[in-house]
Amino acid sequence: MNQYLNQVRAIIWKDFVTELKTRELFSSMFIFALLVIVIFIFSINLSIVKASEVGPGVLWVAFLFAGTIGLNRSFMLEKENGCLEGLLLAPVDRTALYFGKLISNFVFLLIMEAFILPIFMIFFNVDLLPHLLPLIYVIFLGTLGFCAIGTLLSSLSANLKTRDIMLPILLYPLIIPIIIGSVRMTGQILAGEPLSNMTNWISLILCFDVIYIAVSIMMIDFILEE
Amino acid sequence: MNNLEYLFAANVFVWGGIFYYLFRIKKYQQSLQNDLDLIKEAIKKGLQK
Amino acid sequence: MSDETKESGPLLIWFTAVAFLIGMAAIFIYAPTEQMEGAVQRIMYFHIPAAWLAFFSFFIVFISSILFLWKKEREWDIYALASAEIGVIFCSLVLITGPLWARPIWGAWWVWDARLTSTLILWLIYVSYLMLRYQTDVGSMRARFAAVLGIVGFLDIPFIHFSVLWWRTFHPPPKMISPEGLGAGMDPSMVTTLMLSLGAFTLLYFVLMGQRIKVEKMRDEVERLKKDYLYTN
Repeated sequence: MNQYLNQVRAIIWKDFVTELKTRELFSSMFIFALLVIVIFIFSINLSIVKASEVGPGVLWVAFLFAGTIGLNRSFMLEKENGCLEGLLLAPVDRTALYFGKLISNFVFLLIMEAFILPIFMIFFNVDLLPHLLPLIYVIFLGTLGFCAIGTLLSSLSANLKTRDIMLPILLYPLIIPIIIGSVRMTGQILAGEPLSNMTNWISLILCFDVIYIAVSIMMIDFILEE
Repeated sequence: MNNLEYLFAANVFVWGGIFYYLFRIKKYQQSLQNDLDLIKEAIKKGLQK
Repeated sequence: MSDETKESGPLLIWFTAVAFLIGMAAIFIYAPTEQMEGAVQRIMYFHIPAAWLAFFSFFIVFISSILFLWKKEREWDIYALASAEIGVIFCSLVLITGPLWARPIWGAWWVWDARLTSTLILWLIYVSYLMLRYQTDVGSMRARFAAVLGIVGFLDIPFIHFSVLWWRTFHPPPKMISPEGLGAGMDPSMVTTLMLSLGAFTLLYFVLMGQRIKVEKMRDEVERLKKDYLYTN
């Protein structure tokens, strides 16, 4: 068990060191998310629609698009440099590889979201501070589900010729439940409702997270089989 | 109520879709059968040599 | 390719043709015209069987995918592919006949109603499944990836169902006779017609499956012969 945790930690550490050296991924994800928000502001007329109503949707679309960039990179980098073969040859459990990638994707995305939230607050003139705790909870759950299935599909699409196109095509239909739930909950939180009013959504997304992490653990061996 | 045209359109799509698919499968089968025959012929010739 | 499939093929096809003849007669002659909706209501006899077949096909994809990952036999991969293709075709037919039925009745081509929305998402999932298959080269990798997606996609269905249902609960339901209500208040002759149509469509599924599987097996045969005899010497 201890050894397993060490393997997971090694993979996360490797990703973080690479990221700290290059800063490629974080900057591209952040700027992309920012661009999505700005473009949405131009495409909706904020003097007609209420910012707190369209805001949650825009926020999650930005998270989603930026997250896809991160997911695409996570296995593609390994594949390009032939590192994936090395990782597969190393005496590492495949599920440890999955968990390592899942956690590093998840943490990268959370950091990016932490930077995007204040910008969202300023641009949309929505006061997030009174609802910050429930909001963080919802973002945490939604992002986890997105990363759980995203990491699995990213390990799959990295082996395809048209990898950068196929990942969103495969991923987006599957995460529609997460998107609907997260946008709904974020909207309700911004409207001042307590978390207890949305237990059905929370349990749905929790189930999604748990089931897809479990399924990924079962499936990852079949994907990374060489 | 006069809305026969919608029923007609639906039928066109349903039958068109099903028969188009069947037709495509049949065409595939024919071309594959063709390939199979050619290959078998080639093998026979090769073995005779 | 045993003799058995060659023998049972035409018989099944004739059986399906007869079933469809009876079904069509029932749909257009036997079944009464709906008082409220008029002739267009007869779309139901295509719409519901197509929806049932789409769902059934996707279920077969799910089962075949599990069996493929378990047994690693090409057979199951072929079944999954054939079933997914047929499922996408029937799902498309549902999405085409739905708006054609909705337009004269609800006055709009598309309503973001729970059932329509989840059918659309299902269609998107399985179209992406087919895209994955077509874009990957033949081999064990394609079969494994497709099987993973076939399982992951099917497991998503309950989540889609509930999320789309709750997504719409805040809105008034469209003024229509819901499919559940329809079945309850339906004339017995209508139920019989629907059952006949369901039966005919289910037979059609097996006919299409048989033909599609045959194509794939012939393709395998061509590949095998090429590899064994033509490339080696």
